[in-house]
Amino acid sequence: MKTASRILGTAFFLEGFEVQDAPRYGAERRGAPISAYVRASHREIKERGIIRDPSLVIVADETLVPMPAAGVFLGLSAQTMLLIHSREAPEVWRDRLNVEGPIRTLSPPGEDRDRLAWRHIGTVCAAAGARLVGVVSREALAASLKQELAGLNAASLEENLDHARWAYDLMEPGQGRVAPGRWLSAEAFPRPEWVDLQYEDARVAAPAIHAAMTSEQVETGLWRTRRPVIDPAHCKRCWWLCSTYCPDSAIRVDESGRPQIDYAHCKGCMVCVAQCPNHAIDMIPERVEPNAAMAGKDS
Amino acid sequence: MSETRFKTVRNLPPDHLLGTGTAMCAGCGGLEALHQIYDILGEKTVFINAAGCMTLLAVYPFTPFRGSWLYTAMASAPAGAQGVRDALDILLERGRMTAAEDLQTVVLTGDGAAYGMGLSATSGAIERGLDFLYICYDNEGYGNTGQQTSGATPHGAGTATNKGALGYPGDKKDLFAIWAAHRPAYVATVIGAEPLDLARKVEQAMQLTGPRLILALAPCPTGWGFDPDATVQLGKLAVETGVWPLKESRGGKTMHTKVPKKRLPVEDYLKCQGRFAHLFVPERKDSVLLEIQAKIDAYWGAVECHGAVDP
Ligand SMILES: Cc1ncc(C[n+]2csc(CCOP(=O)(O)OP(=O)(O)O)c2C)c(N)n1
Ligand code: SF4
Repeated sequence: MKTASRILGTAFFLEGFEVQDAPRYGAERRGAPISAYVRASHREIKERGIIRDPSLVIVADETLVPMPAAGVFLGLSAQTMLLIHSREAPEVWRDRLNVEGPIRTLSPPGEDRDRLAWRHIGTVCAAAGARLVGVVSREALAASLKQELAGLNAASLEENLDHARWAYDLMEPGQGRVAPGRWLSAEAFPRPEWVDLQYEDARVAAPAIHAAMTSEQVETGLWRTRRPVIDPAHCKRCWWLCSTYCPDSAIRVDESGRPQIDYAHCKGCMVCVAQCPNHAIDMIPERVEPNAAMAGKDS
Repeated sequence: MSETRFKTVRNLPPDHLLGTGTAMCAGCGGLEALHQIYDILGEKTVFINAAGCMTLLAVYPFTPFRGSWLYTAMASAPAGAQGVRDALDILLERGRMTAAEDLQTVVLTGDGAAYGMGLSATSGAIERGLDFLYICYDNEGYGNTGQQTSGATPHGAGTATNKGALGYPGDKKDLFAIWAAHRPAYVATVIGAEPLDLARKVEQAMQLTGPRLILALAPCPTGWGFDPDATVQLGKLAVETGVWPLKESRGGKTMHTKVPKKRLPVEDYLKCQGRFAHLFVPERKDSVLLEIQAKIDAYWGAVECHGAVDP
């Protein structure tokens, strides 16, 4: 998404806009949510930091929607267009999310639901965004891609250009439907809500954690793009292997010596699949059924 | 050497002490080694953790540990350990804690701290005979900040600060030898891909007092450029190609605990990692590959000459 923001930002720039684009990392880890933003204006941009009232929000991975850390709904208003990379129809999303603004979906090409196959997702999102804002020409988009993806070989660049054209064309009906954001003056900016904290004794003020293993409340299972599934018929109960190699201690052994995968926390690294000598662990694409995900459950 | 309770893999602990839900990357070889080490160390530990990937283990209000954890600046974990050990000793002395309640003082750092920034504090702590265990998960770079070159980066590896056609021009520092030269109680190399060897070494270390190092090679999918599922496979290759010698040192004697019978060519290890891709494409850099292989051969040549035990 960092690259997507750069592609869109540079395209705006080539169209003569002043631009800001920046990624925002949480945990800088593979699999952790990441977002990036772009501001473009014909006037000097004095605003800094994250966008409080976006005109367009593009969600590349629909499983991020229920994840608070991803901040998908940050500043969403009735004027904000929401573009979700999803096979589900916009109406379904409207019911589910209960938001007022316009919703569009961008259906991933092909039948493949393995998200690892979505190699061009950044390009696709940037190109779709470029069409929806309506002020970025096909040429500026292509020039931006060539500039931002200069490190790729010719064949990969061509693939990205193809995907960009596809997404740009697909969004034609929405061309220019993104409402420009309000121009914010410094006066109109909400004042920070300062909270006065009194100095306390270090024993009170230090961020001390007084309980064990509280990290188990963090559901890293949402990181998964692929799911390991143990086939009990083939598992020879040589429990130590998968359970010792699993970096996350996410495979526990029950009383009968059977390994059990903790799907709330398994990050889907697939080390167990690669190591099981009996090939008793299958790998299937992760499908978080959106309804279950909305309910905070992992399906 | 005393009897080990880890005779076969069946003796490895079936229960895991480290909590799930941490921010480490999927497939992190450092976390794999840490959870295996923790299973053997047990709950009565205080971790003193220098800035690095693993400081994200305990991000308020979350912790995967069952006991205490203290965060220190990158260069200062051994100094932090000194303070914790002293505090525990005072509590013991004043009878405010029983000997049964005593905790092990465990430093946990990456290689950037262990091989570089924290080396002076480490050397001082060993000099003072501090009773602590130092765990270094060596992902051969400053992982947390985007894999810049560290003192542990191997020759030829591409990093965020060595992006050229030949990668890092220097050589990996020999931290094992640096520690061993201090004559500490114990020094050992381990890897999560060899859990039985790891378990025996942690068991050894726990039976000793004084400064002890457990140095774990930590295959890092993010920094090294490989798919997370290959962490163990790559770890095994590191051992089988002789890149990562498994050894321990006590009382001035070094012993190799696993000597690969027939070493695989180092290429097998290098070619599956993005950080070495420039040695193979667009054209093979034979001179670099031969140089890397020659250094490994020279190391093992010397080992074979002395036998696995080095006087
Ligand atoms: C004195 C100091 N310099 C720089 C940093 C920024 N910093 C935080 S983590 C980190 C990388 C540490 O590398 P390493 O010790 O190898 O651990 P890893 O990140 O690989 O786990 C750096 C440079 C810091 N915390 N302190
Ligand atoms: S960057 Fe490497 S060492 Fe750090 S958490 Fe990720 S895999 Fe582990």
